[in-house]
Amino acid sequence: MSPAEPDIRLRDVTVRYGPPRNPVTAVADASLTVRPGEFVVLVGPSGCGKTTLLRLVAGLEQPAAGTVEVRRATGVVFQTPRLFPWRTVGGNLSFALARNGVARAERPARVAELLSLVGLPGMAGRRTWELSGGQQQRVAIARALATEPQILLMDEPFAALDAFTRERLQEEVRTLAASTGTTVLFVTHSAEEAVLLGSRVLVMAAGPGRIVDEMTVPLPRAAATDTAALRGDPRFAALRAELAAVTRAATAA
Amino acid sequence: MTLVKETPPVAPPADAAPARRRRPAVLRWTALRLVALAVLLAAWQAIVAAGVWPRVLVPSPAEVWSAFVEASTVHDGVRGYSGYLLGEHLAVSLRRIGIGTGYAALTGIPLGLLIGVVKPVAVVLEPAVTFLRTLPPLAYLSLLVIWFGIDESPKIWLLVVAALPPIAAATAAAVRGVPGDLVEAARTLGSGPVTLLLSVRLPAALPEILTGVRIGLGVAYTSVVAAETVNGVPGIGGMIRDAQRYNQTDVVIAGIIAIGLSGILLDALFRGLERVTVPWRGRR
Repeated sequence: MSPAEPDIRLRDVTVRYGPPRNPVTAVADASLTVRPGEFVVLVGPSGCGKTTLLRLVAGLEQPAAGTVEVRRATGVVFQTPRLFPWRTVGGNLSFALARNGVARAERPARVAELLSLVGLPGMAGRRTWELSGGQQQRVAIARALATEPQILLMDEPFAALDAFTRERLQEEVRTLAASTGTTVLFVTHSAEEAVLLGSRVLVMAAGPGRIVDEMTVPLPRAAATDTAALRGDPRFAALRAELAAVTRAATAA
Repeated sequence: MTLVKETPPVAPPADAAPARRRRPAVLRWTALRLVALAVLLAAWQAIVAAGVWPRVLVPSPAEVWSAFVEASTVHDGVRGYSGYLLGEHLAVSLRRIGIGTGYAALTGIPLGLLIGVVKPVAVVLEPAVTFLRTLPPLAYLSLLVIWFGIDESPKIWLLVVAALPPIAAATAAAVRGVPGDLVEAARTLGSGPVTLLLSVRLPAALPEILTGVRIGLGVAYTSVVAAETVNGVPGIGGMIRDAQRYNQTDVVIAGIIAIGLSGILLDALFRGLERVTVPWRGRR
C-alpha cells in the first residue's frame, strides 16, 4: 500500500437520528481524510457530532448520505472502560485475542505483554472492579490493542479520569502512537489535549455538527519527546490559546 | 497524667472497629429473631389454652412437636408416618423439586434467551409463558394425571411446568437488559452474533438468570404439595394430604413447618451459590 493512500476517508457524510419524519441531523456533509501514521484530533463542544464521526469510522453508525471508507483494522477505546466484569483483567484481553484468532496456548504470553505495555504487569488475575478508573482505562486500551489495530479510535478516553492520571495516560498514548506508527483518530473537548496529542486538529461546531476549521500542530512528535517540558513550552501555550480561540469562534458562530 | 486519666475509654483503633462491631450486630439480630419466635409460640400456646377453637383444629405447640418427633422416628413398630420417616418424605419431595427445577432451568434458560433475542419468538411464545405462569398448578394437575398416570412423571411434569415460566421470563428480561455498551465493545473487538450471545449476553445476564432459577425453585416448592395430592406418599405433600384425611392437624402443621424451614435453608444455600458463581453481580 502506498503511503499516500488514506487510512480513513469520509466524503460528504450526513448522519441523522430519531424518527424518519422528524430526524435530528447529528452531522451534515462532513469530509475527512486521515493518512497512515497521522494522529488526528476532533475537538469541539458537546453535541457537535465528533463522537458520531468516530462511531461512523468504527462501523457503529451508518451514514444517511455520503461514503465512509476505512482501509485497515480499527480498535476502539470508549470514554468508559466497558470491561466485561465476568472476566478477569487477563480474561478481557484473552477475549479480544481469541476474536483476533490468537491460539489459546499463546494467549497468556500475549496478555502479559499487553499488560506490561500499559503499565499493569502481573495484573492478569485481578477482577476488573478491583482496579482504579485509570487502571481500568489502561486495560481497555490494552484490550483494543490486543486485536492489533492499525487504526486506533479513541472517544474522550481520559475525560472521566483525574488530572494526574489523565496527564500520564496522555503521555503514554502519545509515546505509543509515535513508537508504533499507529494511526489515531481521537475525540476530545479539551484544546490542551488536542494540541498535546494531535499532529492535526479538526475543529467542529454544533447545529448541525460539521467540521469548520483545521490546524496543523508543528510540535515534536518523536516517542522520546518530554511531554512535561512540552506542556511548559511557549509554542505549546500559543497553539493551545489559538485553538481555544478558534473553537470559541466556531461555537459562537 | 491527669489528662489521660480524665479521658473516657477510647474507642478501639479505626481498623479494628468494623470487625468488632459486626459480631454483636449479628448476635443482636439473631437474638431478636429468637425473641420473635418465642413470642409467636407463646401466643399460639395462649390461644390453645384459652380454648377458642377445638383442639382438633388448633393443636398446641407441644402436640405439633410430638407429631414431629413421632413422624421422624420408629415408634411401637411403626415407621414415621404412612410408613416413611419425615426426613424420607422430605427427601423424596426435595428430589422431585430438584429434578423439576433442573429440567425447568435446562429448558427455560435457552427458551428465555431465544425470547429475549429473537423478536418473532418473543411475539409467539411470550404470551404463552405468561399464560402458563398465571395458572395455578392444581388446574393442570388433572390433565397431567390423565396424560402421565399417577406415578413419578406427572409430579415432575407439574413442577417443570410451574418452575419454567419464571425462569424463562427472568432470562428474557435479563438478556434484554444487558448493557448495550458492553455488546458494542464486544462488537468492536470482532465478535459475531454467536459470540455476542454466548460470551457476552449470557454471562452479563447470568446474575439475573440465577435469580430467576431461585424464584423457579421457590415456585416448585410451593407447588410440591399440589404435585403430591394424587399418590403422593412418600412425599411431604402426600404426608400432609394423608394427615388431612384423618384430621391429624398436628401432623399437617409439622409438615408445613418442615417444608417452610427446608425452603429457607435451600434459599440461603442458593444465595450463597450465587455469590460464589457470579461475583460480578452489580459490578461494572
